[in-house]
Amino acid sequence: MSRPGQTESQTENQIQNQPQPQSQIGHFDADTIRRGALACLPLLPSTIIFGAVLGVLAAQRGLSLGELLFMSLAVFAGSAQFVSVDLWRETIPSATIIIATAVINMRYILIGASLRPVFRGRPLWVKVTGMHMVADENWAVSMTQKDLANPGFLLGGGIFLGVVWATGNTVGYLLGGGIPDPEVYALDFAFTAVFAALTIGMWKGKVDLLPWIAAAIGSVIGHYTLPGTWSILAGAGAGVLVAALTWREDMDDDSLEAEFAVEGRDAYGAPEGTNAAKPATETAMETGQ
Amino acid sequence: MTQFPDLTSFSLEAVLTILGMAAVTYGMRLGGLLMADRLPQHGRWAHVLERLPGAVLISVWVPSALSAGAIGIAGAAATVITMALARNLFAAMAVGMVLVGVGRYFIGN
Repeated sequence: MSRPGQTESQTENQIQNQPQPQSQIGHFDADTIRRGALACLPLLPSTIIFGAVLGVLAAQRGLSLGELLFMSLAVFAGSAQFVSVDLWRETIPSATIIIATAVINMRYILIGASLRPVFRGRPLWVKVTGMHMVADENWAVSMTQKDLANPGFLLGGGIFLGVVWATGNTVGYLLGGGIPDPEVYALDFAFTAVFAALTIGMWKGKVDLLPWIAAAIGSVIGHYTLPGTWSILAGAGAGVLVAALTWREDMDDDSLEAEFAVEGRDAYGAPEGTNAAKPATETAMETGQ
Repeated sequence: MTQFPDLTSFSLEAVLTILGMAAVTYGMRLGGLLMADRLPQHGRWAHVLERLPGAVLISVWVPSALSAGAIGIAGAAATVITMALARNLFAAMAVGMVLVGVGRYFIGN
């Protein structure tokens, strides 16, 4: 049996020896997909337990296991699936479910928009195939990678979460109960924790301060005044509004890394407007697409 | 061996509902990206777009930390501080979750 192990390790060595910028690595590079999947590993316990809880609920509501798995892989959005399965009845209220899904998932417009630098310069087919497996979790993990992730990293995380999610669904559906209460082990808090932690990685400088405060205040007000997940849109809207209002000409940071969440303190403290003398190659890359 | 339950039974109604859910969700995912591609790469819009991921992320977790009560707020604070100091996602999540788990066990919500 001939294994392509040799070529594999060679490519790995190549990548390790001379790190390429993420924007120059292939669309869906196997090694990048693997790294993307591994980066979502901290989310495994909570994803599998919540997947199982959804499986139990789906069995009670009369979905077949096939229908549930089809939903998990076709829709791939946890909170919307919980609400939809909860609304599921013998006669399915299709319109209500689809409208509820649209409202809960409206944040994906914003998430999709913020993925622009990840897909920069990639052909349309990569965007079309890469945007399906985008959940909040692999999006947040990808956005905080050093030098930003590429579509393969995002997809790797999505595939990993999708497999874990569907596995959890199946386990819960088959057991039909007896799933540990996620609250006991604070597994419900895992999602709060991962998003809170990753926020640190998104800090790019003091330009973020006022929009972030606005987002926090907006989402808290939305939380107490609006139903469901509207608080996300309220917070993001407040953040966007303040960002638009606080923008000044001299804030423009045209470097290629500007849209990337860069790890490391140098990038955080970089004062705005000091990147005027950027290398010509970067300008060429940006305008060349 | 018990029969594997219901893997192959698909009702038309269910499939159409799920396809509708999938279409609106995928449409918004891809639509958001394609809309952003049409926005200018510089200036006010680019600046706003750069602030967007942080704003969305904060709006996702701040309300859920609040609804987890005082222990949730403490757990989120501990997570953020650990991440800022250690730059390790696993460690930051572990600190927050252990704090919340232990807090719930001894104090309740």
